[in-house]
Amino acid sequence: MLSQEELERYDRQIMIYGFGEEGQAKLKKASVFIAGCGGLGSPVAIYLAAAGIGSIRIVDHDKVELSNLNRQVLHWHENIGGIKVDSAKVKLEKLNPAVNIETSTETITEANISQLTADCDLIVDAMDNLPTRYLLNKTAVEKGIPFFHGAVYGLEGRAMTVIPGKSACLNCLYHNVTIPREKFPVIGVTPAVIGCIQATEVIKYVTGLGELLTDRLLIYDGLRLTFTELKVNKDPNCEHCSNSQGR
Amino acid sequence: MSVEITMSSIFARYTDNQLKIPVEGKTVGECINDLVTQYPDLKRMILDKNGKLLHSYDVFVNGESAYPQEMAKPVKDGDKVQVVMLIQGG
Repeated sequence: MLSQEELERYDRQIMIYGFGEEGQAKLKKASVFIAGCGGLGSPVAIYLAAAGIGSIRIVDHDKVELSNLNRQVLHWHENIGGIKVDSAKVKLEKLNPAVNIETSTETITEANISQLTADCDLIVDAMDNLPTRYLLNKTAVEKGIPFFHGAVYGLEGRAMTVIPGKSACLNCLYHNVTIPREKFPVIGVTPAVIGCIQATEVIKYVTGLGELLTDRLLIYDGLRLTFTELKVNKDPNCEHCSNSQGR
Repeated sequence: MSVEITMSSIFARYTDNQLKIPVEGKTVGECINDLVTQYPDLKRMILDKNGKLLHSYDVFVNGESAYPQEMAKPVKDGDKVQVVMLIQGG
């Protein structure tokens, strides 16, 4: 049941065909885990908070640095030196006080990931390294909850949605390949585009609207302003999902 | 008639800003070898010292993943090959 204030706040999205008060109520009940509070995590968290997701748990162990501010729009000049998730919580609560924002500064590891994601309905991958992305993917598959992948480099981005038991997973796509973690070029508009696509997918999944970006890798090329879709096949020998049945 | 390889804009500097490049070959590997023959600066970016595609790249033929054995995947005239770089930034 939505309050009068909620009906007014979300009026324009409730108007979307197929969304309605029922869709809004689904968003209100949803609990989202966002891994990373940087370039991708910022737009994901902002737009999910604005949309009225009930609970958002953000995990990031970093502090805000000056060089983050060209893209990590949840963090402002005044936050330099502060803890990212604290900075994020303040902004998100000001944006939408009704959203429950939980934070953690723990480093995501195999030992704590199950507990960190406990009670969350889905996982958003806003990380900056492949090993943690694989760990998140594996956890989502094991828990049978969706996984929303996004990655950026320069003016390029990728996005893909994983529904365990039904679609190809991140490991089917990249086969556990890792590359050295190094400083990479990026400008804020790129994670803004990809983060908004991830948030769109989350909203669609929760409300049951549209078709998800499953079994498809979306490639965004900002220089040419093109979106290309590539088909991703479920790997029958995938170490993460070949035995998964989904929830 | 030939195969067309599409590269990411990231590699435009190595391909004279050409991102859709006609190549000849009967397999993905032959096509990629033709590509790096045309644009030698690209070779060290995508192939290892044994001429194998680096692990950080995936190949799609006509929009579909060519994994596994990407380099041996047969191609025919008119096919479109896309070389995709694995990225991890967030």
